[in-house]
Amino acid sequence: MDSSKSMDVNSKGMTNTKLKKIPKKKITWEAIKRQKLLIIMTIPFVIWLLVFAYTPLIGWLVAFQEYRPQNGFFDSQWVGFTQFQTLFKDSLFYTALKNTLGMGGLGLVFGTGTAITFSLLLNELRFTKFKKFTQTISYLPHFVSWVVVANLVTTVLANTGIVNELLQFLNITSGPINFMAKPNMFWGIVTGADVWKSTGWNAIIYLSAMTSIDQEMYEAAHVDGASRLQKMWHITLPSIKGIIIILMIMNIGNIINIGFERQMLLGNNIVADAAIVIEKYALDYGIGMFRYSYGTAIGIFKSVISIALIVTFNSIAKKTSDISIM
Amino acid sequence: MKALTIKSSILVSSLFLLAACGNGDDSSNDASGSADGEDEVLTLKMFSADLTQDDPFDNAVAQEIEKRTGVRLEFSYPVGGDDQEAIALMIASGDYPDLIYGKGGLNQLIDAGGVIALDDLIEERGDNIKAMYGDQLDRLRRSTEDPNIYHVGTAGVENMYLETSGTLRLQMEVLKELGYPEINTLEDYENALTEYMEMHPTNEDGEPWIPMSLSGSDWHWLITVGDPASAVGGIEGDGQWYVTDEGEATYKFQRPELKEYFKWLNGMNAKGMLDEESFTHTNDTYVSKLSSGRVLGIADQDWNFTEAEAALRADGNEWNLWAPLPVGLDESVEVQTLKDYGFTGMTGVSITSGSEHQEEAFDFLDWFATEEAQILMNWGVEGVHYEIVDGKRVQLEDDLKNSQTNPNYSIESGVGAYIHPFPQWGSAAVDSNGQTIGRMGAEDIMAQYSDAEKEALAGYDADLWVDLFPATEDLETPKHGRAWEIALPTGSDVNVIQQRADDYTTQKVTEAILADPADFDGIWEEMQAELESMGIEKANTQMTEIIKDRLELWGETE
Repeated sequence: MDSSKSMDVNSKGMTNTKLKKIPKKKITWEAIKRQKLLIIMTIPFVIWLLVFAYTPLIGWLVAFQEYRPQNGFFDSQWVGFTQFQTLFKDSLFYTALKNTLGMGGLGLVFGTGTAITFSLLLNELRFTKFKKFTQTISYLPHFVSWVVVANLVTTVLANTGIVNELLQFLNITSGPINFMAKPNMFWGIVTGADVWKSTGWNAIIYLSAMTSIDQEMYEAAHVDGASRLQKMWHITLPSIKGIIIILMIMNIGNIINIGFERQMLLGNNIVADAAIVIEKYALDYGIGMFRYSYGTAIGIFKSVISIALIVTFNSIAKKTSDISIM
Repeated sequence: MKALTIKSSILVSSLFLLAACGNGDDSSNDASGSADGEDEVLTLKMFSADLTQDDPFDNAVAQEIEKRTGVRLEFSYPVGGDDQEAIALMIASGDYPDLIYGKGGLNQLIDAGGVIALDDLIEERGDNIKAMYGDQLDRLRRSTEDPNIYHVGTAGVENMYLETSGTLRLQMEVLKELGYPEINTLEDYENALTEYMEMHPTNEDGEPWIPMSLSGSDWHWLITVGDPASAVGGIEGDGQWYVTDEGEATYKFQRPELKEYFKWLNGMNAKGMLDEESFTHTNDTYVSKLSSGRVLGIADQDWNFTEAEAALRADGNEWNLWAPLPVGLDESVEVQTLKDYGFTGMTGVSITSGSEHQEEAFDFLDWFATEEAQILMNWGVEGVHYEIVDGKRVQLEDDLKNSQTNPNYSIESGVGAYIHPFPQWGSAAVDSNGQTIGRMGAEDIMAQYSDAEKEALAGYDADLWVDLFPATEDLETPKHGRAWEIALPTGSDVNVIQQRADDYTTQKVTEAILADPADFDGIWEEMQAELESMGIEKANTQMTEIIKDRLELWGETE
C-alpha cells in the first residue's frame, strides 16, 4: 500500500504517454557493482519496510489460535480455521460486510464524481482570485472532525432542523420527516456527509493535474471552433484520465477500510442494521470482548478483500486503458 | 512480549540518558526520581472505568487527600466511553497504571496477570479494610476455583435506601395540578399526562409539552428503556437478566412483563405522547430538552439527568423537577428499586502487577476505609464544605446551594468524587459520634429538598420520596446479589450470545415501540424466534450455572 503511494508521484508525469514495456534485464554482478551506492542508499528503507510493514504480519498467526494474553503467543492453543468458521457463520458479519461495501462504494463513486465535476467547473473560472478563494473554502470541511460534522448533520436533519423547515415552508411535505430514523436513508446521509466533507479536498489533485495540460491544445481547439463543453469533454477529461484511474485503483482497495466513526456518530438504535460496518463489528465482537484472535481473523479477511479488489480493478484498467499501478 | 519490554526499556533508558545529558542536573523534581525533601508526593496513576471527564485532582478534597496520605492520583479514563475496549487494549499492550478500577474487565485483568492478589497485603497491613468488610470479605473472592481477592471497593458495606432511581417519573407541576393523585400503574401515569395536557396544552412560553422523552440512541437505551421496563415489571435489578430465587436465569427480553411495558410505550408513541426523537437525539440533546422543563415524564437513572436538575433549580423552576413514582404494570406489581442486595462490590480497585509502588498503593486504599477518610470523601473539608455545630457536621449554606445548582459540583469540589469506586462505608454506617457517615441521612435529604418538593411530599403525606415505594424491609434480599455485576468468562457462549442478543434486542424493541400497534405482536414474536436461533437457551443455561457457582462461593446453598 505504501509503495503504491510513491508510484502515484512517479506516474503523474507519464500518464499522458503510454508506458512501453521494458524487456527484463538479467541481474548480473556487474550491474550490482555499478549500482552499489544506490543499493546501499535503499537499505534503510527496505529495513524500515521489513520492520514496520512485514514484521507485524507475524501477529496474523494469532488468528489461528485461541489467544489469551496471560498465556502469551507461544502457549496459546492452536485452533486452525475455527475463528474464520465462526466469522462466516455469523449473519451479523454479512450485514456488516454489505453495509461496508455499500457505503464504501457509494462514497467512492460520488466522492470521485463530485470531485471531478467540481474541479472541471473550477478550472473554467477566469478570475484567478475568486478561483483560489473558492478552492480554499471548498477544502476547509476536510479539516473538520467527524464528531463536529455528525452534530451538524443531525442538527440540520432534525425534526425542527433547517431541512425540515424548508421542506414544510415550500409545501413539499406536510409534516417533518425524521431523517435519522429511516434505515433506508442512512447510506445516503453518510454518503452526503462524506461528499460535503471531502469534495474540495479530493478536487485538489485533479485541479493540479489540469494545470499541467498544454494550453496550446485549448488554443488549437478554439481555432477549430470547439465550445467550452466540448473542450472540457475532449481535452480536459482525457488529459486527466490517467490520474482518475490511478486514484480509483488506489481507493477501491480502501472501500472496505472506511472506518466506523461516521457510522457510529450518525447511527442510532433504529438504523443500527444499516449502520454496522466491519470495523465496528471487529471492535465490538473482537477486541471489545477480549477476543483478540477473532478480531485478527476479521482483519485478515478485510486485507484479503482489499487485495482482491485492487487486483481485479487494476487488471480491468490495464485491459481497457493500459494504465495500471502493478 | 518480554523481548519487546526489554527493547522498549533500553529505548526509554537511552532517552533518559539523552535527556539527562541535555538538562544537566535539572531532573531532580521528577516525582518518581530520587528522594530529596521529606514532603515528597508519590504520584500513582489510576485508570477509572467509570470516570467520564477529566479530573485533574486539584480540588479541595483532592488536595486534602494528598496532604494526609502523600499520594496524588493521576487519572485516566475511557475516552469515547467504552471501558471494556480500553482495558482490552491495555492488556494487549501490557501498559498498566498503578491502580485500576476495571469494572466488567476485572476478570480479564486477572487472567492476563495484570493485577495482583491482595490476600497477603490485607492480612499484613489491611487492618482498616478488615475492620470495614468484616465477614463480608468472602464476597470479594473471585470464584470457587480461584478464591483470592483481587479488588476492594465499589459498594458500601452497610446501606440504607433513602433515594431511588431508574423508575418512571413525573413533573411535580403535573402532580400539583391534579391534586396529588396516587400513581401506581402505567394507566394512572398515562391518565395523569393526558389530563394535565388537556388543562394546559402548552407551557408559559406557548411551546407544546413533550409528554415523555427517552434517551435511546446509544447505550443510554439500557437505562431509559431497558431498565425501566424491569422496574415497572417488578423485576429486580439484574441487568439484562431475570433471576429466580433458586438462581435460574432467563434473558429478560423473553419475559412477558417486558413485552407488556414495551406495548404500553408503543401505545404512547401511537398516541403521539412519546417524543418522536427519543431514539434519534443524542443524550446531550435529551438532557438539554429536560433542562428546558418541557418534558413532563421521564424514565431514567437519577445520575443521568443531574445536569438538567441543576439547570432547572438554578432557574428557579423547581416545580419542573421530576418526582420518582412507584409505577408498576398494574396494582399487583411490587416495584423493587429499594431492594437491599447485600454487599455487592463484585468489582473494584485493583493494584497492578507492574506497579512499583504496590505497598504504598495498598496503604492508600486501606486508608479509604478509615473514619477520617470517609468523612473527608463524604463531607469534604471542614470550614470549606461543612462546619461542626454541637458536635455534628452540618453542610455549609453556600456549599449546599453550589451542590444543587452546579452540574460539575462533584469534580470541582471533590465532595463525593472519591467515594466510588474506592472502599466505602455505606450510607447506613455511623461514625464514632453516631452521625451517619454519608451526607445523605434522612434529615439531610429532607433539608436538601426544595420548597416545591416539600410541598409535593406534604400532598402525599410523606417525608421522603421513598416513602411512596414498597419498603426495603418488605423486599427479600436476593442471595445472588446482582446478576449484571458478574463478569462473564471471555469468549464463552453466554458472553458472545449476550452481546449479540443485547445488540439485537436494543434495535428490535425500538422497532417494536415505533411500529404501528397492530404490528407490535408480530415483531415481538419475530424477536423471540430470532433470539431462539441465536442460542439464547444455551446462554440461559450457562448463566444459571454461573449464578449457582456464585451461590456456592458465598456459602448461600444449603
